[in-house]
Amino acid sequence: MTQAKTAYQKPIPLKDIDNAPYWDAADKHQLALQKCDDCNAYSQPPGPTCAKCGSENVSWEQFGDDIKATVYSYVVSYRPFLPGFQDELPTIIALAQLDKVPEVKIMGNILNCEEKDLEIGMPIQMTWVDITEDRALPQWIPATN
Amino acid sequence: MGTIKDRYAIVGVGESERSRKSGKTPLHLALDAANAAIKDAGLKATDIDGFMNYNEGDSCTSHQLATYLGVRPKYVKDIQGGGASTEMLIADAVALIEAGQLNTVLIYRSMNGSSGTRVGRGYDPDMLQRALTGGSFVIPYGSASPSQWFGMYATRHMHETGITKEHLGHVCLSFYEHAQRNPKAFLHGKPLTMENYLATPDISSPFNIHDSCLELDEGNAIIVTSAKKAKDCASKPVYIMGMAARQCHPHAHYWNDIDQVASDYVAEELYENAGVTPDDIDVASIYDCFSWVVMRQLEAYGFAKRGEVGDFVAEGNLKIGGKLPTNTAGGMLSEGYTHGMNNAIEIVRQLRHDYKGTDRQVEDCKIGICTGWAGPDIAGAMILRN
Repeated sequence: MTQAKTAYQKPIPLKDIDNAPYWDAADKHQLALQKCDDCNAYSQPPGPTCAKCGSENVSWEQFGDDIKATVYSYVVSYRPFLPGFQDELPTIIALAQLDKVPEVKIMGNILNCEEKDLEIGMPIQMTWVDITEDRALPQWIPATN
Repeated sequence: MGTIKDRYAIVGVGESERSRKSGKTPLHLALDAANAAIKDAGLKATDIDGFMNYNEGDSCTSHQLATYLGVRPKYVKDIQGGGASTEMLIADAVALIEAGQLNTVLIYRSMNGSSGTRVGRGYDPDMLQRALTGGSFVIPYGSASPSQWFGMYATRHMHETGITKEHLGHVCLSFYEHAQRNPKAFLHGKPLTMENYLATPDISSPFNIHDSCLELDEGNAIIVTSAKKAKDCASKPVYIMGMAARQCHPHAHYWNDIDQVASDYVAEELYENAGVTPDDIDVASIYDCFSWVVMRQLEAYGFAKRGEVGDFVAEGNLKIGGKLPTNTAGGMLSEGYTHGMNNAIEIVRQLRHDYKGTDRQVEDCKIGICTGWAGPDIAGAMILRN
């Protein structure tokens, strides 16, 4: 209530019955992925059942906070399509392919990255931005090593 | 649906005026389009017993349209939908006629796409997070426009197949050239050069304004009936050889796998039902919400091999006189934009040889394809003949 001037303007991820463990982990600066106990497929985004085989036996695997990936694809937007992005143009939106689980791809912005340095295959790592008092958003930055 | 081959036909097409600001309601535009299509078919409004439309909460209802045509309809259907809905509703109309429920169906799309709701300008963020599968994994990152959603596919596909920005430009230039021959095209009189195209900054990569479809106020209508009833119409019937009405990506959250699109699944079913191959197609309407979407579909529908689509378009094959004259009225990039119905209307006119004796006619064309793309997630298509 006291942060009217600095309030976060961008959309905040909505937690729901299926995705809450992902966002709860993110709030603690961790990555968790949903996995099927029957066919072993990861579900990203998470859902009510396994999207590969329909099994209801899904559980959550913790991956910690050292998350490496490469850029699988990206777009660079020069116009804000949502509130909050108008002051941070251009916006890099990328699909990150996880090193440990290449079949999982997670969308995010790449922060601290010049457009000219951006390319497919570029190594990146997950970081977390505290966007409100109790919420954090997973993001990506160029890998440092 | 193989058994419907050549037993159903499109017998009437029509459109309203297209503009940036119609000053009319979608019901008025729908009436203009419907009356034009009814006249084209040589029918009376009361010959039509079924009315269907697709919309995004931005149109009038089928019941309203029928009412103000002076018809008590036997069947009305209004669906939420954009691209690929034309093909789906034509398939639904055929199925209902086949089932003996209806005789003749009018399908329309009417919208103030410029002065009313604009598709390309983003939506309410929280609504989108809930409406999109996995929306909370997309929207918080600023991705809220189809250009950004499909662009993610385009960047990867272009990287893998060697398609360049200049190749995308050839798609735009081909369609803009067609628009210069079509006085009713919105960008008639506004030709595009490669120099201008390449100098235009992107809105969201890899797309600039020329790569992106128009947003206009416009109504379109199509009338479908049985081949038997088509014989009583004033127009030359265009027969439906085969359809693949609605195919889907394996995952509703289509960023889950950006290496495949729903159109990949449409092609095989479509050619099998129609009993033809890509080599048999004389003229095409390929859904063109964005230039790259055409490229990806040329690959999916087998008009050029993966990796060779760039050369295919650079050689001028999409132009009238090329191997696959495509979007010959200008397409959605430069003629008009009704989520694909204007492209379906054009393929009908080409197959009827309506432009005979002009530089707009694809000479002696007999078989045409019309594809729809709701997104990487959903697609449909039909093959027609004269």
